[in-house]
Order: sequence, then C-alpha cells, then structure tokens
Amino acid sequence: MKTKKPNIGIVLFVAIGVVPFAAAFVYALLYSFGIIGVANQGFTLRFWESVLASGTFFKSLGYSVVIALVAVSLSVGGALWVTLKFRRQLEKRILSFVIYLPLAIPGIVTGFFTFQLFSKGGFFARISHKLGFITEASQFPDLVNDGLAVGIILSFITMVMPFFVLLFLNVYKNERIEELSILAQSLGANSRQVVHCVFLPILIRKTWVLIILYFIFLLGAYEVPLILGQESPQMLSVLIIQEIKQYDLDKISEGYVVAVLYTLLVSVAALALFLPKRKRAYAS
Amino acid sequence: MRVNWKPFVLSLAVLLILFPFVYLVFLSLASEWRFPEVWPSYLGLKNWVTVFGSETGLLRSFFSSLLISLSVAVFSTASGFMISKAVFYHPKKRTLTLLAYFPYILAPVVFAACLSFFFLKMGLFGNMTGVVVAQFIIAFPYALLFFSSFWNEKVKSYEDLVATLGGNKWQTYTKVVLPLAKGLLMICFFQTFLISWFEYGLTSIIGIGKVQTLTIKVFMFIKEANYYYGALSCCLLIFPPVVLLYFNKRYVFKKLV
Repeated sequence: MKTKKPNIGIVLFVAIGVVPFAAAFVYALLYSFGIIGVANQGFTLRFWESVLASGTFFKSLGYSVVIALVAVSLSVGGALWVTLKFRRQLEKRILSFVIYLPLAIPGIVTGFFTFQLFSKGGFFARISHKLGFITEASQFPDLVNDGLAVGIILSFITMVMPFFVLLFLNVYKNERIEELSILAQSLGANSRQVVHCVFLPILIRKTWVLIILYFIFLLGAYEVPLILGQESPQMLSVLIIQEIKQYDLDKISEGYVVAVLYTLLVSVAALALFLPKRKRAYAS
Repeated sequence: MRVNWKPFVLSLAVLLILFPFVYLVFLSLASEWRFPEVWPSYLGLKNWVTVFGSETGLLRSFFSSLLISLSVAVFSTASGFMISKAVFYHPKKRTLTLLAYFPYILAPVVFAACLSFFFLKMGLFGNMTGVVVAQFIIAFPYALLFFSSFWNEKVKSYEDLVATLGGNKWQTYTKVVLPLAKGLLMICFFQTFLISWFEYGLTSIIGIGKVQTLTIKVFMFIKEANYYYGALSCCLLIFPPVVLLYFNKRYVFKKLV
C-alpha cells in the first residue's frame, strides 16, 4: 500500500501563512473575553458589552468607512477621467516615467508632506499670509487634524489615484479597448455610448476586486490618520493601537475586542471577494 | 477657435507630481523657517552634513532599513516562490489561496499588535530579527499570491518534458523553471523590498522604538517637530524607490490585471 508523504510545501505554507494569523486572532479573542491578560480573572463579557454600549467601535467604523469610500470613489473617478482624456499623452516618454513617481512615496511621507502643506503654519498658510488673506496662523482653515478628515482624504487620493491611473492604462491596452471603441463607432455608436457601453464597463469589470481591496486597505490605514487624524473619532487601526497601548488595563481588553471585530470584518470581506467560484478577473 | 486645454492640465499634473520631491529636498536644506516667512532664513547643507556626521543616527537607520528590507525581500521571495508551487498545484488550491488572503488583507499594525505577545515570548521583541520575522510574515502572503499565475499548465508541461528526457529535479529548476521565472522573481524581490522599506506600524510595535528604521525616524522627528530632519529622512526613504523606478518601472508597479 502506498503511504502518503506529507507535502512539505503545504506544511510550510500553513506554518508561515496560516498559523500566525490564527494565533493572532485566537490571542485577541481570548484577551477580549478576559481569559488571558495581566489583570483579567477569567471569562467575562464585560469588555464586549462596554465596547458595544459605548459605540466607539461603530463610530470609528462609520468614520473609517466614509473616509475610505470618499477617497476610493474620488480616486477611481479621477483615474477613469485621466485615462479617458490623457491616455495617448501619458504613453509619451517623459510622462510615462513621471506618472510612476507617486508610487515611490510611502504613506508616512504623504502624511508628513500633507501636514507640511496644509497645517496652520504650513506652506499654504504662509502663502495666504503673504497674499494678505490671513493675518494670523489661526485664521487658516482646519485642513489637517480636522473633523471632516480633509487632510486624510487628500493624502489617500494622492496615494491611490496614481495607482489606478496606471492600472486603468494597463487594462485599456490589454483589453484592446481602443479597437473595441473604434468598432463600436463604426457600428454607429456616438462617443457618449462608447464611454458608457465599452470603456467604463470593461475597466470596472476587470478591476472591481482591486477597487474593493483598496477600500479595505484604506479602512485599516494607520500612518496617515495617525499624523493627520483628530482625537475622536479615529480611524480603526489608530483606535485599536491606542487602546491596546493604554495603561488602563480594562482598555487593553477593549482594544482587543475592536481588533477582533475588525479582523472578522476583513475576513468576511476576503471570503466574499475570493470564495465565489467565478472567472478570474484579478490575476496576480 | 477652440483652445486645447490638455497641455495645461498635463503640465499642472507634472508639476504637482514633482512638487513633493522638490519640496522635501528644499525643506531638508532649510533651517529656522518660522511662520509667516515664505523663504527660510537658512538654506544650505548643514542638516545633510550633520546627518553624515551621524549625530542623529540617520545614516545608521538607513543601513538598518536596508538590511531589514533586503533580508525580508530575499526570504519572502525565495519562500513565496517555492511554497507557491505546492499551493497552486494542490487540488485544494482555491481554499489555500483564500487562507493566504486573510493575513494579506489585514492591517499590518493590528496583526503585529495581536502577535506581539508571541514575539515577546520568543525573545523577538525589540530587536532586528523580530522586525525581519514580523515583516516576513506580512510579505510572504504577497509573494505567494504574486506567483499564482506562474505555476500554470505550460510550466507543468515543461517540467514533465524535462523529466521525460531524463532530467532530475535540480536540472528542472536550474535549466527551466528559474530561467522562466527570472523576471518575476526580480519584480517580486523589489516589491517585497518596498513593502518592508515603507513599513511603519508593524515595525513600531515589534521594534518598540529600539529598531530605528527610516520610517520610525520620520515619525520620531514629526513628534519632536524637527521638520527639517523629518524631510531629510523622507528624502532617504523616497529616493531609493525612485532609482528603482528609473531602472525598471515594473519593480515598483506590477501589472495586476
């Protein structure tokens, strides 16, 4: 009888790719129920009740969802417009290099740069003062660490939009949208119909998984809201880390409750995105 | 007459893209630039000279970041490539791929916060090895998923052909598989290098401020309100990827669709 040898590749995959995630989740879960933790004395639901009753999680989730949604919508919309209007020019030698440059800037630098430009003592405040629009720094509008998260959204757009421009330019070429558009026009479609029935459906259908993935990435973004966010409400990752790093031991357990809720949320999103059997639109 | 507005919009876009690079270099050269001055009272190489004199440890941070990122890139690319073969030739590859997406999609900083207990117990807290291991855990799923399209029927047929012609496993890899995957391996190496190079949240949790990579330094200078050194750290952080871009755009942007 043939004995089945364990597949060493799969064993390593489980050890590196699955075990750390499972361990992290189980640890956070046990901590959130008070089973482990420095001052915890056994199973309790009080941390969960406290988090759910205070509404901090839901406020932070709502705040993060709105910010991520606005940033992704504006980025995708802007990138579609740029692709539609400028694709020929963007293929030229110098521009084809320049449009890649924003990808060299990480989140922490984007956050720092946005702060330098839009804070009350920043570049635009100085220009406004010079032009006589303001006489004191405090008169400059709140564009960073503000309630409307203008700075965060602006940073997210400058980080995400260049990626989508490059992505759409790639899809445009690979899917031969140019040829399909010419075909549609020769069959009598006007330019509006070409955009609505050829350009947009193909680009969106080929990239929707990535658009949702970017929404999820922004939902969990840390560096930018850490630099440009306000005290309350905070984006999810900032809230989780702030609670976990607190000296108040009850707050640590509550931080793990939020971490568990967030992990469950993104895990459900991953299941919904990658579990259904379908033709692969997204291939790495 | 209809005015062609596209050149103006494009010129503006180019200026906007180049502006952060120019501004950060400018800020790194400035000193004593107080509100409401539009031009700094000092502009020169003072900050850069101080850095190269290692007073702030920035140069050390640069080399620490380089060492960490190179290690993460080497380990995650090699293991991602080898293990992805087992995963994507497996009958249950859809389930396994799905499992790889969980750590990929989770915010690294939250992942690190939940893993920190285990790092503490294993003596990997607050040292460079711990940071490399933690970054490897988040770069590995990326590398694994990166090679998903490589292990296809065509490559399998080549492997079968080498076996039929009497080649052993070593020859299959050195003569066929690795030459075929060379381009992808290079891209994956640089992409995982950048994941590590740009990482802040996870490094701050596992390194607890003792492992001072460039991103940690940037944040430290922001907190100290030392924006000139902050800008200088930003320059050190963004120019290596620009050099990579110059050599090959695909090192920084992978065609995903």
